Amino acid sequence: MSASHGSDTDMTIDYANARYAPPAALVAAHADAWTRIGRAGAFWTGTQRAALIAESRAALHCSLCERRRAALSPFSIDGRHDGATGDLPSTAQELAHRLTTDPGRLTRRWFDRLLAAGMNIGAYVEAVSVIASGVVIDTLHRALRVEPAPLPDAQAGEPNGASNPHARDEGAWVPMVPRDSDAPTATRLPAVPNIARALSLVPDAVALFFRTFMPHYQLTGGDYAISRSEVEFVAARVSALNQCFY
Amino acid sequence: MLLRESSEQTGSIDVAAVTDPSLASGLLNGAHLTRLVGACVSGDHNALVDACEAAETAMSAVAVRDVLIVAAGFNGITRVADATAIPLDRSTAEATRELRAPVIDSFDYAAKAVRYNPG
Repeated sequence: MSASHGSDTDMTIDYANARYAPPAALVAAHADAWTRIGRAGAFWTGTQRAALIAESRAALHCSLCERRRAALSPFSIDGRHDGATGDLPSTAQELAHRLTTDPGRLTRRWFDRLLAAGMNIGAYVEAVSVIASGVVIDTLHRALRVEPAPLPDAQAGEPNGASNPHARDEGAWVPMVPRDSDAPTATRLPAVPNIARALSLVPDAVALFFRTFMPHYQLTGGDYAISRSEVEFVAARVSALNQCFY
Repeated sequence: MLLRESSEQTGSIDVAAVTDPSLASGLLNGAHLTRLVGACVSGDHNALVDACEAAETAMSAVAVRDVLIVAAGFNGITRVADATAIPLDRSTAEATRELRAPVIDSFDYAAKAVRYNPG
């Protein structure tokens, strides 16, 4: 199964040789994400966004990342990453490698150092969205035993700098748009849980990640061949393996 | 939290199996789920092949596919949470207090900072 999406490119995600054929809506969402990543965002060009995907993939074979993962503390190991393209500042390369290979051991000091080294906080949020979207797509490719998609085709264009002026400190590392209420709904979660606000400093980042993610998981309902308990067990088990607090 | 809710509805799930794979979850195919998720997240090709073949027999091909789809999605969204350090929603914190101690609480961002990057 394959899908092309977008009028300015023939960006294709191809699951034709997958062990299990994914739903058409998921394939279309992945194709749309790949096209979006190839376009300029708020703070990164299309070339840089594609480079973030390349660095995320390179991290899987990076000797520094491997040594850090094996260490009791990743911060005890210095060195240089085995880079992919050279199109990114070192802070973005560090983010792509660490977020891909060791997300459960990121710390506030690490985050603060990226900003102190010159990374704009909006650029950080956008990069997280691009890398996490790429992780979703690449993980499914590996799981379904198909070759990774070719890198997104970078389109010309400049970043538009768009961020949400209402975002503020809400207790996360990054500013988030406030919500009216955190009272639980029928799902026992707030109408807008914090995970939905995590990237809200950069509207494009929210759109990219959640359009990629939504075909993977429905909070209620969903057309699954496994039970709701099994869906939630899988989700919780992944969170535990990744040492995710949230 | 939603697993806890499912557990309350079915009365048959040991949520401790989420953080301790040596425990039986109580789910019919819990061992297969654990094995599939581990292989999917690790990217270990051989482990994935073995896990899929075993699970296909016990479950079905489309069920295995759906496990992998959910796992792939959460392999991304956990990175969004970890990279932004979003706090727990109040209702989640209150509803899962007992469930989270001690393993999940050890994933707290402040606890990680002390453990991995004291300064």
